[in-house]
Amino acid sequence: MKYTKKDLGSYQLHMIKTKKFKTITVRVMFRSPIVKEDITMRNILCDMFMQSSEKYDSKRKLTIQAQELYAADFQTSNTRLGNYMNTNFYLTVLNDKYTEEKNFEKAVEFLSEIIFHPDVKEKKFDSQKLDIVKSSCRSALNALKEDSSNYSLVRMFEAFDKNSSASYRMMGYIEDLDKINEENLYQYYEKMIQTNLVDIFVIGEINEKKVLELFKKYFKLKTLKKKRVPYLLPDKKPRSKRLIVKETSDTQQSKLAIACRCHGLSDYERNYPLTLYNVIFGGGSDSKLFKEVREKHSLCYTIHSVPNKLDHLILIRAGIDKSNYKKTVDLIEKSLNDMRKGKFSDNDIKIAKEYYETALEELEESEKRIIDNYLMMELIGTDTIEEKRKKMQKVKKEEIIKVAKKIKMDTVFCLEGVKNERN
Amino acid sequence: MKEINLKGLEQEVYQETLENGLDIIFVPYKDKKNYFISYATRYGSEITTFQPAGEKKSRKVPDGIAHFLEHKMFEQEDGIDPFTYFSESGTGSNASTSFDSTQYICYGTKNFKENLKYLLNFVNQPYYTDENVEKEKGIIAEELKMYEDIPEFALEMKLRENIYHVHPRRIDIGGTIPEIMKITKEDLYTCYNNFYSPNNMYLLIVGKFNMKEALKIIKEEVGNIPNRKEAKITKIKEPKTVRKKEEIIHSSVNVPKIGLGVKLLTKDLGEYDSLTLDLYLSMITTILFGSSSIFRENVRNKKLINNFYTEWESIEEYKVLYIMASSENPKVLLEEIKEQFKNVVIEKEALERMKKVWIANEVKMIDDIDSTVHNIYDDFLRYHKVIPNKVEQIRNLNLREINKIASKIDFSNMAVVQLLPQEKIKNEKK
Repeated sequence: MKYTKKDLGSYQLHMIKTKKFKTITVRVMFRSPIVKEDITMRNILCDMFMQSSEKYDSKRKLTIQAQELYAADFQTSNTRLGNYMNTNFYLTVLNDKYTEEKNFEKAVEFLSEIIFHPDVKEKKFDSQKLDIVKSSCRSALNALKEDSSNYSLVRMFEAFDKNSSASYRMMGYIEDLDKINEENLYQYYEKMIQTNLVDIFVIGEINEKKVLELFKKYFKLKTLKKKRVPYLLPDKKPRSKRLIVKETSDTQQSKLAIACRCHGLSDYERNYPLTLYNVIFGGGSDSKLFKEVREKHSLCYTIHSVPNKLDHLILIRAGIDKSNYKKTVDLIEKSLNDMRKGKFSDNDIKIAKEYYETALEELEESEKRIIDNYLMMELIGTDTIEEKRKKMQKVKKEEIIKVAKKIKMDTVFCLEGVKNERN
Repeated sequence: MKEINLKGLEQEVYQETLENGLDIIFVPYKDKKNYFISYATRYGSEITTFQPAGEKKSRKVPDGIAHFLEHKMFEQEDGIDPFTYFSESGTGSNASTSFDSTQYICYGTKNFKENLKYLLNFVNQPYYTDENVEKEKGIIAEELKMYEDIPEFALEMKLRENIYHVHPRRIDIGGTIPEIMKITKEDLYTCYNNFYSPNNMYLLIVGKFNMKEALKIIKEEVGNIPNRKEAKITKIKEPKTVRKKEEIIHSSVNVPKIGLGVKLLTKDLGEYDSLTLDLYLSMITTILFGSSSIFRENVRNKKLINNFYTEWESIEEYKVLYIMASSENPKVLLEEIKEQFKNVVIEKEALERMKKVWIANEVKMIDDIDSTVHNIYDDFLRYHKVIPNKVEQIRNLNLREINKIASKIDFSNMAVVQLLPQEKIKNEKK
């Protein structure tokens, strides 16, 4: 695997040459500091890109064109990375040697058509298409509560800290949806193209010189560089007394969503001991939470924890019966305490390290994860895979305990399933 | 071992059947770092009535028992949890139950030999006690509730109930809470002993591993396990009609959902081998309803769909087409779908384009270990073999045959279930 970075002024082109894959994957990323009111607009914009373009004026024509490029796959997504919002365009296409000459070039040209030549006339997006996209977005927002697991997380974050970007709903808001029209969407589009920071990644069995030429030809950006903000959210203290919020829902199962603050961690602690902490505490089928709450007390089917490192959080989620609420939260608190007291073995640490090693090795089997890894190195300054491997091996038990003492339950949300109570 | 070259995909597959009937499939990759092992039995939730080997009478076991048994395989007499064992080498493990199979998997980059040996051993050594069976009931009850709370899942279950009169596919893979509460350790042993025999099982290994070593381990660990006599699975006489043509359910959903099931007798569709027929059927629905279809463009422009997908199901004697959608106006969408069913004609342009897409996708999928496992697993379960020439089979799909089959599909034999929001009840009463 060979990594090359070219600074093309308005964007950086990252090329990763590897013989591992039959496909070439391209990720074009636009990013800007996150603004809550813009999330919905940005989602609608993403959907509009995939709806039509200047040359392909219907979704069917766009789809057929992608199919003609030997089933090239085009996708867009909006994700939050700390204080930033990223809009990603993904292209995955078979290498020319499995298709025909210039198929990759045509796919890159098509990607540039989607991004730079949207379906716009007189500085307005097509109103009928916007209407379709808005209607579909409205339905998805209306259906939010139907997915009780996701809904519980959304509600927990709103209770946790409404003003923190950690609580922003990446699927958007109805009240913002209503404000979007053909004109302001186009203005927003122009702003994104002109002012966002842009990175482009290309991975596959590529010829770097040719890729560079292709992007110079099809991706001509004139980005005005903006001041940068930190990726990490502010490191706030946890509440002195935990916040408990409950809501009922017409479901059988209750969903528990808990945010724990990790306060005062150093970069090293966040990247290394915290990772091991989470694997041992609630990461997988071998974790403390899984064994204690599920295997020992039969209180749930799912329970796990994930770290949101840039937000200084650990999230815990479980599906339980309403009557077991107190018991479950007590057991989670007990597990947090056990971690603080160092009630885990050297073998637990060894297993967590093995887990991490395997994850690093498997990372190299996925184009998207390889790109993510280089992206984090670029943006946050994380270590290389080799450095990560070495540093993680050296983490000591005391360091994990030290981190454990800085983790505290902050907000507990329970979406109580009350369906059975009516019967 | 028999070498099978997957034509057009630059990939070799190796296959062997042990004397006791266990099928082994190897898909070795040269430039991958990871491996994936799946140990499977052709036993899933749909087998609930059978005459156990050596018994004289057929009996019915509780619904959901295959899935319950899958959970309980992770209970070992030595007290070591298989999850923990695999974790020691950073290896992931899991298991899953479907209507017609159960599989145990592990995947990672290290300890291949030990992990293979352990996987075979733990699946070959059941350990059920009254106590550990009771303990699992609370966990599975939460799993069932979790699924029932998902509206799309509830809709599909209702649709299955209305398509099938008697076939066990009308019941959820996990069963129901009252049924699983009845399960005893004796029931579990009965099912295990009858369906976890080598000649009912297969082992699939994909990725980076040494084939010679793997084969040696498999022969040592499983080669000497004798087969028990076969259980007689009671034949199900499923009628041709759907059980209930229409049903409307009101629930707490905000966006209406609709599910359709078209039930077809396989023999009515013509004389084809099952792979060919499946390819044609799925090509027909891809062209009629897929992302590049005129239908999709039309209903999208009319704002009739949010989510939409189609899927075929095969059971003995039948093919069932499922169409599931979320729509603000399910009534109009239903009319549009019915309209699409009339005078189906497949155009040459669409067929050729979709063939190109499918072939390209085959090449993409062979690049990915997970997709390869999934494909070969499904083919082996369904067709009892590795398909060496799928690319060629796709290329050979032709316009005359596809239209012939399409003309034989009786779309009127259909069940429809709508899931509507509560407030619509008030409106209707007015």
